[in-house]
Amino acid sequence: MGINGKIVTKNAYRITKTRNKTALRIRVPGGYIKVKHFTLIQSIAEEYGDGTVHITTRQGFEIPHIDFDKIAQINKKIRPLIESLGLDIEVTDYGYPAAGTRNISACVGSRICPQANNDTTKIARKIERTIYPNDFHFKVAITGCPNDCIKAHMQDFGIICTTDPQYDANRCISCKACVKNCKKNVTGALEMNNFNVKRDAEKCIGCGECILKCPIGAWSRGETPYYRMVIMGRTGKKNPRIAMPFIKWSSEDVVVGVIKNTYAFVGRHIDRSLPKEHIGYIVDRVGYQVFKQEVMEGLKLNKKIQIAENIQWHGYYYKQDNQFKSI
Amino acid sequence: MGYKLSPLAFDYYLKALRNTYRIFAPVLQKGKGKFAGTDVISYGEINSLDDIMLDRKSYFSPKEVLYPIRETLFYFLNDETKAPAINVKPILILVRPCDLNGIGKLDRVFLNNGQEVDFYYARRRELIKFAMIECVEGFDTCFCVSMDSNVANNYDMAVRFDEDNITVKVVDKSLITKDLTHADTAIFEPAFIQENKVKVTIPEVDLVTKKTFDHELWEEYTSRCIACGRCNTSCITCSCYTMQDIKLSDDKKIGERRRVWAGCHIDGFTNMAGGHNFRKKNGEKMRFKTMHKINDFYKRFNEHMCVGCGRCDDVCPEYISFSKCINKLNAIVREETLHE
Amino acid sequence: MNNPYLPDAYKILDIKKETQIDYTFKIAYEGALVGGQFMEISIPGVGEAPISICNYDDSSLEMTIRKVGNLTDQIFNLEKGDTLYMRGPYGNGFNLDHYRGKDVVFIAGGTGLAPIRKTIDHFVNNPDEVKNLEVLIGFKSPKDRLFIDDIDRWSEKNCVTVTVDQGDDSWTGKTGLITTHIDKLDLTNISEKIAVVVGPPIMMKFMLFELIKKGFKEKNIWVSFERKMSCGIGKCGHCKIDETYVCLEGPVFNYTTAKALID
Repeated sequence: MGINGKIVTKNAYRITKTRNKTALRIRVPGGYIKVKHFTLIQSIAEEYGDGTVHITTRQGFEIPHIDFDKIAQINKKIRPLIESLGLDIEVTDYGYPAAGTRNISACVGSRICPQANNDTTKIARKIERTIYPNDFHFKVAITGCPNDCIKAHMQDFGIICTTDPQYDANRCISCKACVKNCKKNVTGALEMNNFNVKRDAEKCIGCGECILKCPIGAWSRGETPYYRMVIMGRTGKKNPRIAMPFIKWSSEDVVVGVIKNTYAFVGRHIDRSLPKEHIGYIVDRVGYQVFKQEVMEGLKLNKKIQIAENIQWHGYYYKQDNQFKSI
Repeated sequence: MGYKLSPLAFDYYLKALRNTYRIFAPVLQKGKGKFAGTDVISYGEINSLDDIMLDRKSYFSPKEVLYPIRETLFYFLNDETKAPAINVKPILILVRPCDLNGIGKLDRVFLNNGQEVDFYYARRRELIKFAMIECVEGFDTCFCVSMDSNVANNYDMAVRFDEDNITVKVVDKSLITKDLTHADTAIFEPAFIQENKVKVTIPEVDLVTKKTFDHELWEEYTSRCIACGRCNTSCITCSCYTMQDIKLSDDKKIGERRRVWAGCHIDGFTNMAGGHNFRKKNGEKMRFKTMHKINDFYKRFNEHMCVGCGRCDDVCPEYISFSKCINKLNAIVREETLHE
Repeated sequence: MNNPYLPDAYKILDIKKETQIDYTFKIAYEGALVGGQFMEISIPGVGEAPISICNYDDSSLEMTIRKVGNLTDQIFNLEKGDTLYMRGPYGNGFNLDHYRGKDVVFIAGGTGLAPIRKTIDHFVNNPDEVKNLEVLIGFKSPKDRLFIDDIDRWSEKNCVTVTVDQGDDSWTGKTGLITTHIDKLDLTNISEKIAVVVGPPIMMKFMLFELIKKGFKEKNIWVSFERKMSCGIGKCGHCKIDETYVCLEGPVFNYTTAKALID
């Protein structure tokens, strides 16, 4: 059997360890899917696979043990799943148009979670519409608050929803609930000053905890939601590292625009002699300043936005694992 | 005197009243709920019928209209003290019967407790007239009927809001404007809710003993209550406050003393200078509040403090239900009495 | 309308250092007072606190203030001739009629001596008004003693016991917790004997327990409560215990009432 690995991979099927068997990866942006699609997933798994699915680390489904020659049939059937993504492109009978940009994952967000500052599901779907079917290998995740349950810090682009807390001194009863909590659980951005709460805007990460803790509504959410974006976190066999803050107090447009612009950046700078060069390594090679300049190009910046002057990524190289000794 | 008004006519009526009164009602504060994308209903000044939010219970009570969350008592200047002037334009508040009765409890404390009348409460209270919102259905957590506060008669005006029209009964003649004299007259007596979904039985005041105070029930609340104080801030009858002194000049010659709402569940309420604290455990705070609301206020004023508005149930992040607490307490007291 | 919250400025006539952290402020004041009542004293922009009146005459009153926080720190910076803001008096104070003609023991722990000082003084100066007068006072250490001159004067004709929890090299008086000295009182007529007890919460608790155990009748015991009286006029709620507002009905209570008060 002859298979064009590149084509099937781009079609969201993967080469598996079992000869002649593939696995289909179903995108579920934000991990949000209507259950009516479960019957379709079930029928494909039962008819073409082994009756199982794997729930992927990025919140998608992977249906294993599929024969390669069934791809065309399956592609026709999964049309409703692709349609459910609500993309601006025309949906065909040929399956997923790309798979390099991974499923956009998101925590449950403000539809359910009291901590969340925003509707992460909605944002995930919006970003999916904007960047899919680009095929470069990007990992994007959206988390509702700086608790970062979705691990935005392990992504190429981690979007953290924030709020700009508004303080109404006339409602404040000086109970210190916000101050104590911020000190204990967040960054200690709040302190009491003459019975009023003083917020250090530099220390504030916009988590919204003060709003949640306030028993009297002296703290409330600002009208505009804001985002913090952390970038170029990664796992992998070479240099795993946590994503670092790139912009804060950003508008949604800027956050989305940055990701969109990064595709062009990668297009310009990727080393095509390699089988695959990952975005984080491209930024390492090209330099943060070039990256910053190119991805911010043409974006209409909101007034409150702050952009990192420099970024120093930490992380480590596996090859430096010299602190181990045999017993 | 009763009148039937179309929504448009009612708006004209409100407009006319606004010449004389600032009108307060429950309003939807868009996006101001604590959770993202949520609203909160609290009392605010209104201009028209559309501003009035009646579908849901207000999260905060109308208390803040007549008893501001923060209020400057006076300024110091050298050796002089001076109370600030307030806006003396009369106020009309739209309130449900439970809240109207609740304001009666505030009156007890601020006007009738001890020899002194609370100057600040009294001067604002004198400006206030009440438009009672007819309330016949209540909400899920209400237990006003059990608390005898479903009926109120000390209103200046009563209002029934129907889909197509608004009926008003005006008791205070000064609230009759030209707009009303042109309207259809109607015979209207406000009806009152007769049964809530939630019912409580208050343990007989005299049967509450030291044993009741020592009951393990309160331990349960020590483990559940986080003493966030939302029950206090949302309550129509909680009236406690704390003084704050603010230095306005470095030489200490100019200063301000104000009071801010406080409460038995709010941190530091019983802390004394020197470090002693009288109710450390949250269960003790819960016990104090419970007894105040349904036992000891009665001993002073011959009426219970709690009006059963149920806001404390609505706002508790730990899902502690005050009505359940009352019923549990009643069961305990009955049990104790049987075993005497 | 009368505004009960507005304090007036009063002149400090004298400041007497009792201990390192307790000063007695003599303040110009004219008006009716009862020993055991309290004033709300304040400094603009700093704060207000309830302080017991420990002495008074026609033109002045005295208050012994312990340095325990921001406000009292600032008050300690004041000097003779400076002004202090006050409003009051508040509370019931000690009703002398409850003790007249009786065999009375005044028991004070530490700063608890301040509110009863005036009452003790009254009976020391008018010995005919009581059948018998005894005073039992406990301090933490010799250097914590208050009103040393007064105590010496009282001791001239009365049975006054002063004990310290912990003595020092120069201390030749009694030592041990105040509760261990109850036996030294004249307890011959215990069922009729009146006890007035004022002190920190923990001292009060053990003292009352011991007195009842010894045979004092509950109705013959009087206490004064320390609470966070803030408004002084029954509004703010800070001093409320059960249906009782300490600022209105107290701070002096008969023990039959006091024992039923649960925080």
